[in-house]
Amino acid sequence: MKIESDHSSASDEQLVAAAKKGEMAAFEELVARHRDKIYARAFSMMRNEEEAVDLCQEAWVKSWQRLVQFQGESSFGTWITRIVINLCLDQLRKRKRQRTESIEEMSEESGGVERQMPVVTVNPTERLERGELRKRIDAALNQLSHEHRTVMILHEFEEMEYKEIAKTMGCSIGTVMSRLFYARRKMAALLANLKTEELK
Amino acid sequence: MINHDSQLKLQAYLDGELSAKETAEVQNWIATDQDAQLLLAELQNTNAALVGFEAEIKLPETREFFWSKIQREIESQEKASARVSARPFSLGAWLQRHLVPVSGTAMAILVLLLVVQVAPSKNQVGEMELSSGDVGAVTFRNESEKMTLVWFYDKADSGFTESDSLASLDQE
Repeated sequence: MKIESDHSSASDEQLVAAAKKGEMAAFEELVARHRDKIYARAFSMMRNEEEAVDLCQEAWVKSWQRLVQFQGESSFGTWITRIVINLCLDQLRKRKRQRTESIEEMSEESGGVERQMPVVTVNPTERLERGELRKRIDAALNQLSHEHRTVMILHEFEEMEYKEIAKTMGCSIGTVMSRLFYARRKMAALLANLKTEELK
Repeated sequence: MINHDSQLKLQAYLDGELSAKETAEVQNWIATDQDAQLLLAELQNTNAALVGFEAEIKLPETREFFWSKIQREIESQEKASARVSARPFSLGAWLQRHLVPVSGTAMAILVLLLVVQVAPSKNQVGEMELSSGDVGAVTFRNESEKMTLVWFYDKADSGFTESDSLASLDQE
């Protein structure tokens, strides 16, 4: 099969091999295949459309420049996703300003409100249609701090283990566990309590 | 009320992060503790709600437009990189890059020697003397780079003289 003439039916591995030789059309096909997933990850982390698009673009440019370093130990999709995650983390660190910590943030590491929160006994999303659930999740994610949101995204969407998340975020496994627990409990409460007015 | 360590252990059980022995212990605990069952159910429900969430998020730009931006950026960075590698040799830039750190180190050593002389230790056996007359200095000024280099050396230990140094710079 000639990759030059038929990119759409080529595998990612074939496209990567062609792109490494400088074939831009093969790289364009890789961008087209993975662009939505990369954007979704950036948007989940940043919660800002414009910023997410810019970071995606930067991730794709970097991946082109570093393509020779990609040895195929993971899939191309995983590799480019990790690039965008790292760019998002850098951006979030830059963005973070010195600010007074809220009571909830202070309690996150030292024994906080999530331990006292009553357990949500009914499944809050059971009777919701997909669109409504999506709105609620969006609103709930917006209310989490970026540290809590990122841990949850890396665990739930990127399927990283605690150890890997700790390495990516530069914190201890204990902190990862604590943040993940807080984020899940907060999400459960928000999904159950968010009122329709708050979502409009 | 479940303590925090147990809460985190329950979560680790849900995430498959426990050893076989710990998993069995947590399973026994869940079987007999209603609070643990409720908390586990809540955590599972939250996970279930998030399944497929990202799949519905789409890039809000067309394939052509998004690719055109990436292509333009790649080409622009490649051109910039080519310009840097093709830049002609500049003596001023070379001196700035290589000699400034060296002269900085020399200056630091000189300052250190002067300090040692000013505050000698009581246990010091010999004495180190260094006067300004023993130290030579060469100054080089490059107007185009707006840069001045001052080079200090020990006149007694070195055959290097001001006229030598100026001559060597002139040759370059």
